[in-house]
Amino acid sequence: MSLANLPQHSSSSSCKSSLDEEFDDDTEVDTDRSRKRCKEEDLGSIEQTQGSGSQVLVEENSKSSRKKDICAHPGSFEHMCIVCGQPVDDKFGVVFGYIHKGLRLQNYEVDRLRKIDLKRAMRHKKLYLVLDLDHTLLNSTKLDRMTAEEEYLKSQTADSLQDVSKGSLFKVDIVDRMIKLRPFVRTFLKETSEMFEMYIYTMGTRVYALEMAKLLDPRKEYFSDRVISCEDAIKRHQKGLDIVLGQENAVLILDDKEDAWTKHNSNLILIEKYHFFRSSSDKGGFKCKSLSELKSDESETEGALAAALDVLKQIHTTFFHELEDNQRDVRKGCKRVFSYVFPSKFQADAGSLEQASSDSIHSAVKLQTICCGKAT
Amino acid sequence: MFFHIVLERNMQLHPRHFGRNLRENLVSKLMKDVEGTCSGQHGFVVAITGIENIGKGMIRDGTGFVSFPIKYQCVVFRPFKGEILEAVVTMVNKMGFFAEAGPVQIFVSNHLIPDDMEFQTGDMPNYTTSDGSVKIQKDSEVRLKIIGTRVDATEIFCIGTIKDDFLGVINDPTTA
Repeated sequence: MSLANLPQHSSSSSCKSSLDEEFDDDTEVDTDRSRKRCKEEDLGSIEQTQGSGSQVLVEENSKSSRKKDICAHPGSFEHMCIVCGQPVDDKFGVVFGYIHKGLRLQNYEVDRLRKIDLKRAMRHKKLYLVLDLDHTLLNSTKLDRMTAEEEYLKSQTADSLQDVSKGSLFKVDIVDRMIKLRPFVRTFLKETSEMFEMYIYTMGTRVYALEMAKLLDPRKEYFSDRVISCEDAIKRHQKGLDIVLGQENAVLILDDKEDAWTKHNSNLILIEKYHFFRSSSDKGGFKCKSLSELKSDESETEGALAAALDVLKQIHTTFFHELEDNQRDVRKGCKRVFSYVFPSKFQADAGSLEQASSDSIHSAVKLQTICCGKAT
Repeated sequence: MFFHIVLERNMQLHPRHFGRNLRENLVSKLMKDVEGTCSGQHGFVVAITGIENIGKGMIRDGTGFVSFPIKYQCVVFRPFKGEILEAVVTMVNKMGFFAEAGPVQIFVSNHLIPDDMEFQTGDMPNYTTSDGSVKIQKDSEVRLKIIGTRVDATEIFCIGTIKDDFLGVINDPTTA
């Protein structure tokens, strides 16, 4: 009787000690699974006779030594596994270069992080918001493409880089561009940061993206290190949510370009393009004078950003206060809330670019309120 | 860990540097070339502390350069697997945190952070215990254990853990 007990007793203790040793190596999933396996084996050995009891002991020992060598390598930093430190082959998963150089994670690890983060975000009643830069939050132009009528702007930017939080027009020599922030952008960012965890996702270079982040967020309180540039994207000219650490059913995107987000159309809120500089409105196909040449600007309180903010607030309220737990998905219910409406023909003269934009925004806002009313 | 060792190197010197200041030129060129570099064997060369011996110069065939074998003493820093180090946190995010110990960059993934510490986002992202008693944020000092190292030409990268006993925050910057 005592002999029959011995193998069972030592097998359970060897199981526990191997678990302790492996705690550093195994992922959480592995340790849970191995604990369950040990329990089952313990139960099994109680019923067995002495002979097979020692057999169970041998099997468990070989299993635990195998477990020690197996690390799932959920990610790598500079070609080393982040859990066990062994060198790993770098051909898996997703590269997170925007967070830190050399960081790479497996797809299942990204999912695991997303789930954990979703719980935290839900607790703080926050969703995720991915923002585009060009034509959405700001408009930029190369310094050598500015027209004679825009030259007056260069004198206005003399001190603006000293106190970034007060200005909206900047001359950034590092990227050789003049930047105009969209009216209402500072209020927009402040209010959305209370409801959303925000990302910048631009098709520009990393240097450009970081400079713009400094202008929009000088104290690093809105975006911190969540600035994604074209160098981080998996596919060129295509933006994807695979490098965003947020669960897809809680991510909203605000962008002026629909074809950049073909895979995530239902997360996208399309906003009207912001053309301030002449070079930008020329590219957009407008033949009239630009806002900079007319010395005017988009309306602050009735512009596209203000309308977008209302839409975002509505989605946030609906998500947290009206939907049941299992129905929570920003892609359903309030589908196509902000439909893009723009008159196909418009008068190119009489400074009507601004007029046309405000008309379209009003009609778009009307459309939005109709859609939302039907959300269930 | 820091070591004080003797290394040897062949320095090539252009004839324009010959003359009264030959030795000084040689030593300053050595310092410029070697300090701040890394090798897999010795680690990061922090500083040259002295010259032990400069051998006879051999003129290279074909060019006028002269090659001097120099033996010099220097302080090197090399992290080892299993070593316990103190580091300063430089960045905290959802995946873990990055810390620096001199020229070494260490990443501690959230797999290797104790389970009772949770990530909190904000303008100072941090990992905090549920009762708020221990916090890891930017500029905190932590004691960690190295579990993997990799060396390239100018930098050393490590993976670390704070999940073992006696590891974790040493000094909270908010209370210091």
